[in-house]
Amino acid sequence: MAADTKKGSGGNNQLLMTLLKGRTLIVLAILFVFFSFAAPNFFNVDSLLSVAKHVALYGILAIGMTYVIITGGIDLSVGAVVGFCGMLAGGFLQEGLTLPMFGVTIYMSVPVVALVTLVIGVLLGVVNGLIITKLGVTPFIATLGTMYVWRGFANIRSNGATFNDIAGKAGLGNMGFSFFSSSVFGIIPMGVVILVIFAVIAGLVLNKTAFGWHVLAIGGNTNAARLSGIKVDKSLIIVYAISGLCSAMVGIITTSQLMAAHPATGNSWEMNAIAASVLGGTSMAGGVGTIIGTIEGAFVIGVINDGMTMMGVTEFWQQVIRGLVIIIAVVIDQVQRNIQARMALQARNESKNEEKAAATA
Amino acid sequence: MAISRRSFVEMSALAGTTIALTACGGSKGSDKTSSADKSKSGSKKEAKVLKGGGSNIIYVITPSVSNPAFKAEADGATDEAKKMGYEVKANSHDDDANKQSELFDSAIADKAAAIICDNAGADATVEAVKKAAKAGIPTFLIDREITTTGDAIAQIIADNNQGASDVAQTFVDAMGEKGNYVELLGKESDTNAKVRSDAFRSVIDQYKDMKMLEQQTANWEQTQAYDKMETLIQTYGDKIQGVVSGNDTMLQGACAALEAHNMNVPVIGVDGSDEARDLIKQGKATATALQQFDVIARTAVQEADKYLKDGSTGEDEKQLIPCIVITKDNADKLNGFVYTE
Repeated sequence: MAADTKKGSGGNNQLLMTLLKGRTLIVLAILFVFFSFAAPNFFNVDSLLSVAKHVALYGILAIGMTYVIITGGIDLSVGAVVGFCGMLAGGFLQEGLTLPMFGVTIYMSVPVVALVTLVIGVLLGVVNGLIITKLGVTPFIATLGTMYVWRGFANIRSNGATFNDIAGKAGLGNMGFSFFSSSVFGIIPMGVVILVIFAVIAGLVLNKTAFGWHVLAIGGNTNAARLSGIKVDKSLIIVYAISGLCSAMVGIITTSQLMAAHPATGNSWEMNAIAASVLGGTSMAGGVGTIIGTIEGAFVIGVINDGMTMMGVTEFWQQVIRGLVIIIAVVIDQVQRNIQARMALQARNESKNEEKAAATA
Repeated sequence: MAISRRSFVEMSALAGTTIALTACGGSKGSDKTSSADKSKSGSKKEAKVLKGGGSNIIYVITPSVSNPAFKAEADGATDEAKKMGYEVKANSHDDDANKQSELFDSAIADKAAAIICDNAGADATVEAVKKAAKAGIPTFLIDREITTTGDAIAQIIADNNQGASDVAQTFVDAMGEKGNYVELLGKESDTNAKVRSDAFRSVIDQYKDMKMLEQQTANWEQTQAYDKMETLIQTYGDKIQGVVSGNDTMLQGACAALEAHNMNVPVIGVDGSDEARDLIKQGKATATALQQFDVIARTAVQEADKYLKDGSTGEDEKQLIPCIVITKDNADKLNGFVYTE
């Protein structure tokens, strides 16, 4: 009798667990259905592609952010890197790169501009990583500091002005920056394609490579990871470099979409990236997180944003709802962890009892 | 539009760290619309008429409505469009060009009939407006211009030049056509700061007994204006017989500093905020020039309606809405940027 109830509750728990684990997808499905009814024009291919296009920006940011949060850190500088790298790319296209000591101005072709910008993004990430590992500054403070520094540089680059002439000139061979805001097969926005590529690579690296396991191990228990021979500092620097790379990519895409580079671009986007990671089940305590979860989280935010706009919900209420969704997501996350821990304990007790029973028999 | 945007935007930003650097759409073309211009535009080649996205929805996109000026604008446009039988979706871009671009995407997906927009950056808005036009949706810009013409159907802004000139005349009269004054300038990267300052100058400099002691920039901000005014009072003391300020937020800061030093001299501003109105009523400030946000927004909606029905607004793309000088005599008629006769 007692065993029966136990088994019953175990079954309920399992069902609950399955529901909890798939909660981001379930929420996403509910949101889709809801907005399809609430906003008549929401559920059609064009709207959904436009949602995906918006999601791509903070989705890519959130991929880098997920790596960082898994290590138990945070990267507040991503929005500023978006702005700075956008300004660099815009500046390269409009003004070229002037080297006063040689008295020349170099105009790079679009692929070179993109590559240089991405490399700079990586370097900015490396700087974050070095400050955190070598100088021992906590990630929150380190990236808060660099957030201001990069944003300052973004403004310094143009003295606060916008680069608006970035279509390139045939004579300079730097046309075609609109590639990053073009559409594949005429419908799929380039940002979405890049998001998919980044997500697949990031997911594989996290789950299938030694580096991925190191990242998870560092977040789980840094000291244990260090003692077991993982090069913690090196891994952390790479993680922040990945975040820098993702941010630079977003800087390029958004500059291409707006066909203008403004130094304030990307302001407070770090919050969207963090929210997407957390919604997708990444634990701020570190050690837990998946890329697919993060992408789902990014879509939840995107669907809420665009859905509410198309429903005609005012901006202020949108903020309230966005905030509530994040808190609820974390609460459910904790409930899941508690149940998981209880189930693990139960399983251990049961196996102990069985051992005991076997021993007495 | 030059009310200090920063303090307002901060509250509404998700992170609380948004700094609105977006320059106001300048008033490069602030020359008055002459009849000659009109006849010229009539003979221009007819641009393709945009039919609207197909629905009956008008999107109203403005900076954060926590700023009363933009609230007046959003409310005015919403009210006018509803009166005309449109469904309205009002949203703010918080001076983030990317967010504005997303809102344009939503409007396109929603098959909006028209977009009324106070934009988030003269350069960065061009692509969004083009994108809407490609989807057949006409955009009507209000309060701030963009850098191109021919993309938006209309660009309706306050006549900063006229407003600043008129209020400067009131200042000269209040000073008795003579005396020393100081000027608080707006953010120098903002074209409106220059337009207004030049307009002040063009009027005041006609009187040879009026002398400017010093010009200081306070970046449209109240606290900066207070600090700068204190410094000026330290330097010149009672020599200061009047203050000209590029906007009402700085006017507030200047008035507070003057009051702290027991000085009461003529002070003018531009914008027409309720705070400035109250100072004028109390006799602490002299006058301000009201930018008629409500009228600007309503005009845009009316033109959108006309354009959707007739295929033309019947007006030039760039239009200037005159400012009204607010003094003690008519301060009671001003409320929330709406002037009621």
